[in-house]
Amino acid sequence: MLQVELRNATPMRLDASFDCAPGELVALVGPSGSGKTSLLRAVAGLLKSRTLRGRVAVGQQAWFDSERALDLPPQQRHAGFVFQHYALFPHLSAIENVTLAAGPATAADQFRALFERLGLAGLERRRPAQLSGGQQQRVALARALAREPKVLLLDEPFSAVDAPARQALYRELAALRQTLSTPMVLVTHDLGEARRLADRVVILDAGRSLQTGTPAHVFASPRNARVAQLIGIQNHFRGRFHKREPGWAALEWGQPCGIELRVLDKNRIPDGATVTWVIAGERIDLLPDGAADGNTLRCKILEQLALGETSLCTLQPERLTEERVTLSLSTAQLRSLGADAAGCLRLVIAPPAIHIMPQKDGSAGN
Amino acid sequence: MDWQATRVSLLLAVLTAVLLLPPGIALARWLAFSSWRGKPLAEACLMLPLLLPPTVIGFYLLLALGQGSPLGAWLARQLDLRLVFSFEGLLLASVLINLPFMVQPIQRAFAAIPNSLREAAWVSGLSNWRTFVRIELPLAWPGLLAGVALTAAHTLGEFGVVLMVGGSIPGQTRTLSIAIYDRVQAFDTAAAHVMALALVASSVVAVALVFAADRRRPLQER
Repeated sequence: MLQVELRNATPMRLDASFDCAPGELVALVGPSGSGKTSLLRAVAGLLKSRTLRGRVAVGQQAWFDSERALDLPPQQRHAGFVFQHYALFPHLSAIENVTLAAGPATAADQFRALFERLGLAGLERRRPAQLSGGQQQRVALARALAREPKVLLLDEPFSAVDAPARQALYRELAALRQTLSTPMVLVTHDLGEARRLADRVVILDAGRSLQTGTPAHVFASPRNARVAQLIGIQNHFRGRFHKREPGWAALEWGQPCGIELRVLDKNRIPDGATVTWVIAGERIDLLPDGAADGNTLRCKILEQLALGETSLCTLQPERLTEERVTLSLSTAQLRSLGADAAGCLRLVIAPPAIHIMPQKDGSAGN
Repeated sequence: MDWQATRVSLLLAVLTAVLLLPPGIALARWLAFSSWRGKPLAEACLMLPLLLPPTVIGFYLLLALGQGSPLGAWLARQLDLRLVFSFEGLLLASVLINLPFMVQPIQRAFAAIPNSLREAAWVSGLSNWRTFVRIELPLAWPGLLAGVALTAAHTLGEFGVVLMVGGSIPGQTRTLSIAIYDRVQAFDTAAAHVMALALVASSVVAVALVFAADRRRPLQER
């Protein structure tokens, strides 16, 4: 189990904590400058900062503990690190890159199986410059694994390879995970990648960890408006929360003569509070044009951008001239509903599809 | 051709390069990787031998090492070492004035190594010494070669400092460049020609070596 709890003032502000179980893959996600790479470097012992405080521990062994003035050098931390631009030693062959990391007593033969597993068989004698981006990345992964690391750290490992190679690397990483019982931490700015690969994601912003959870949970229930914005949820709106009968509430949307949506009350938001709320797009049902009623909204299609099998639609709910709902809908479904540009359709937003958060950052969602 | 002077010049060039290489590497590496605040000042001091007239450097060395100075007197008394008008003194002067020629190319070569490569070595478990031997030196070798070649070529051609500190003692401190001067003074232009051509050739070889090494730079393979 890797446990990280770090604070730093300069050069990069950090206030983040997360843990990662053996065999688990945790993704650190955030925009550039959010401190995700600094956090990873701090775990590896590469972040040089006098203001770094907190603790990094793997199992019973502490790698960094500011209270005990303990700060192991990178060499003693036994972390496998895959760099964004590979950082292979250019003057050494692929196999030499790997054996150098494994230590002087290790023979090249021991890595035949690893090279085979990573699709590198036959490329052992090649220099990094003679390998493709995807192959270089696999050598970098082999080098990180050669030391039998206690933690595997991956810094944007797929960002420098082209799309087809990336798909192959995703599959290989998934296959590799079946055989590894090492905690794995992946830094990425690509939300799709995090969603696809990670068991849990840590959303970082300006060095702070805002929310940690399974991708499904974080994407369906962002903790606050900032998290919703960071994970790219387009449909987030402001409204007012009114308590009704036990377990239920009304969400007032739009001013001054807006509409009321029926929502669940989990007793976490006070009556009358101003809230931010999001809709999980995949939980919305569509109906052909007709009368609006309760959580069934009549919407005008303002724009329909065909993207092959799906269309990106911008919808304007009836009576809410300032609001826009953006949905990616199947082109076939739109056709079957008789909906086209400038036409209308109805959205059925079930109460569980609405996730409500308080306006203030950092407090819990409903 | 003054073979005695040729021997002195070659010996001086080789010994200067050999003696200067280890401290040159240490200084260059420190300048390349250190983030010390006073680094620009250290770099400026290192450049001084390039900017000052050789006679000025020679003059101060003469003052500092002569037996009239405390250091010169102490060396003569304790170690029986006379550094003025002797080969040893010439060698010391040569080492000092060649510092920038040795350090600059090596420093540039170390600075060109991406930080991520050194970090990759550290997280791969390589100690600082093994990182230096297995990663930094093999990547910086063209810089080392350039430093040695430039130092040797510059030593062969040095005139002002040599004359000031060493004088022109045949077999001891008379180098090729001083022998050329002597021959020209004696209107023996044919002998001056031969030695001048030898120096031109050695400089061309040194520069060619530097450029050839630069084209084979390991880091360019990336």
